[in-house]
Amino acid sequence: MQILSITWKDLKILFKDIGGMATLFLMPMMFIIVMSTALQGMFDSGDTGQPWRLPVVNLDSGDLAAEVIAQLDNMDGIEVETAWEGQTLTRERAEALVTDGERAVAVVFPADFSDRVEERLDDAEARATIELITDPAVSTQFIAPIRGMVLGAAERVAERWLASARLEASLAEVLAHLPRSAQIPLDQMTIEAEETNVVHVEQVAPPGMGIEVFPDSYQQNVPGYTVFGVFFIVATMAESILREKTEGTFRRLLAAPLPRPALLAGKLLPYYLVNLLQVAVMFGVAHFLFGMALRQPAALLVVSLALAAAATGLGVLVATFGKTQTQISGLSVLLTLTMSAVGGCLVPTFVMPDFMQTLARFTPHGWAMQGFQDALVRGYGLAGVWPEAAALLGFAALFFAIGVWRFRFDT
Amino acid sequence: MTENIVEARGLVKRYGELVAVKGIDFNIRQGEIFGFLGPNGAGKTTTISMLSCLLEPTSGSATIDGLDVVRDAAQVKRIIGLVPQEIALYPTLSGRDNLNFFGRIYGLRGRRLRERVDAALEIVGLSERAKDAVQTYSGGMKRRLNLAAGLLHEPKVLFLDEPTVGVDPQSRNHIFENVERLNREGLTILYTTHYMEEAERLCHRVAIMDEGRIIALDTPQNLIKVLGGGVIHVGVQDGLSEEMLSKIRQLSTVKDVAPLDGKLKVETVDAQRALVDIIAIFNQADAAITSLEILEPNLESVFLHLTGKRLRD
Repeated sequence: MQILSITWKDLKILFKDIGGMATLFLMPMMFIIVMSTALQGMFDSGDTGQPWRLPVVNLDSGDLAAEVIAQLDNMDGIEVETAWEGQTLTRERAEALVTDGERAVAVVFPADFSDRVEERLDDAEARATIELITDPAVSTQFIAPIRGMVLGAAERVAERWLASARLEASLAEVLAHLPRSAQIPLDQMTIEAEETNVVHVEQVAPPGMGIEVFPDSYQQNVPGYTVFGVFFIVATMAESILREKTEGTFRRLLAAPLPRPALLAGKLLPYYLVNLLQVAVMFGVAHFLFGMALRQPAALLVVSLALAAAATGLGVLVATFGKTQTQISGLSVLLTLTMSAVGGCLVPTFVMPDFMQTLARFTPHGWAMQGFQDALVRGYGLAGVWPEAAALLGFAALFFAIGVWRFRFDT
Repeated sequence: MTENIVEARGLVKRYGELVAVKGIDFNIRQGEIFGFLGPNGAGKTTTISMLSCLLEPTSGSATIDGLDVVRDAAQVKRIIGLVPQEIALYPTLSGRDNLNFFGRIYGLRGRRLRERVDAALEIVGLSERAKDAVQTYSGGMKRRLNLAAGLLHEPKVLFLDEPTVGVDPQSRNHIFENVERLNREGLTILYTTHYMEEAERLCHRVAIMDEGRIIALDTPQNLIKVLGGGVIHVGVQDGLSEEMLSKIRQLSTVKDVAPLDGKLKVETVDAQRALVDIIAIFNQADAAITSLEILEPNLESVFLHLTGKRLRD
């Protein structure tokens, strides 16, 4: 009952602190909304729901560029734009679109595109060039897939045309040596190349992953900024403990018939509960307002429970190192930001160098991210997230052990 | 009022090289207000901390109602109340919420909790402000609520650690009245202060502490009697002749004369009358008085007399 009394008292104090509540709830929510919306194009572009819009300027005097453009337009995830505001796209307009940030990439087929392909019949070194107008600030990782698609489509068209042209030339030569009666007019012979999609690429997941759709922007960002926000509790909790010591309420409580473990437990529980509430609010808003799918809720719950334990454990530990509000605040910010960055909350770990991906495993953030993504994105159930939950509980145990060992009840 | 409810024997508290309490012995009788009077750093708060089981004595022992403060700490905590020197309250919570919380910590529930909270608020005169956040209270009101929180569980012994620091005179008086009323109702109180007028007004007995030791312990009246009618410090130029010293000693208003740091310390029966006589002697001898200081018979003067220091240096 004493633990619950302390918990209830601290929850009342916490919820009266408007600024503190804003930091714990509004700030991570703001990050989630802004970053998910801002990066929606990056995560969601390229599927039929939200295709990449690709401006294309066709200056080709021949027909080959038009064939390439038709192939691009047929691809899933690409929407070719050959006009802008009702007018055929010009090079200048395409450049302006990139400069103004309307589009990241534009494609220009020069006037001699078909001629250059035809030159290949006689000159093995001849090459046709397609220009990709890109903003230098746009990441290579974003440009590379588009470049690949354009090159692939152009290669296919060029090779088919060249193969057809060579075959026609060979046939003409053969026919010229046949008796007149055996000759079949070329115009009665058709070599048709069916425009069929001979090859299809299908994206699949490794065994055991039960995904049906791919992660959207919210499924990537919500776990990241939720974990980021959960660890804000470290500063709040550590400052609260310090305040109780410096303002004398700790002294009064220690003079009461209140066992020290109960005092500590009572101080930890409200922050643990607030952590769980943070996760519930972040995921709830993402689900109900933005339609993020909440897969494997039991697995999500287990990871959340373990995550909150790690965060409150770190709060106890930081409370033992800071002697002033400034020290606690500085130490909390340093730890929270560093571990969030290293752990993949702000930048996905797969884009990091190998050594940093290894470092992520030394942070609770990294394990929490993996756990959430295992459930949300990869569709793992309880059995699949237990390693992450165990790691988080291990961090919690370590933080608590050191924190309790260092904790001074002296006031 | 004869049974001892608090007994301390050879209490010592050491922090590394620093010895904050250097072996003190005292008893507090049931139903009395016992004062610890001394300057900041004398060891008063450390002593209270040991008695209220916040600090373990380095050596020595103390019992409260027969319970050892180390071995029986959990039981001791049930029968003592601590009003710390700090305003140990939660500022964003209301006065009532603060008391409800501390009451629950002491095991009070339901109707009993409500009754005790109402009673405590009534005692300190804060019933009408109970719903307001503590941060809106004046300093004096906070001190009064601080006192109320120590009374909720009806302790046998109440430790008041400098309860009037930073308090306006009206609230201070309110606290004095509360202390006197609680004592009349049977509560034993240990009261620490560096204000001698508080000790003189409230305490049945006073222990004067300095540098971790009790240098005097008695009723305020008996302590003050050491000074007789007061002490006069007379600054003299070029010393005094034996003849003059002898004349001063022979005055009926003077008890004793002794040199003290280049001055003359005169213990009197009646300081005001003695002063007139002393000035007359100096005038007759045409000797110059460079300074005069009269220590009226009070505890501050007693402290100065015993230690050479002021209570509030």
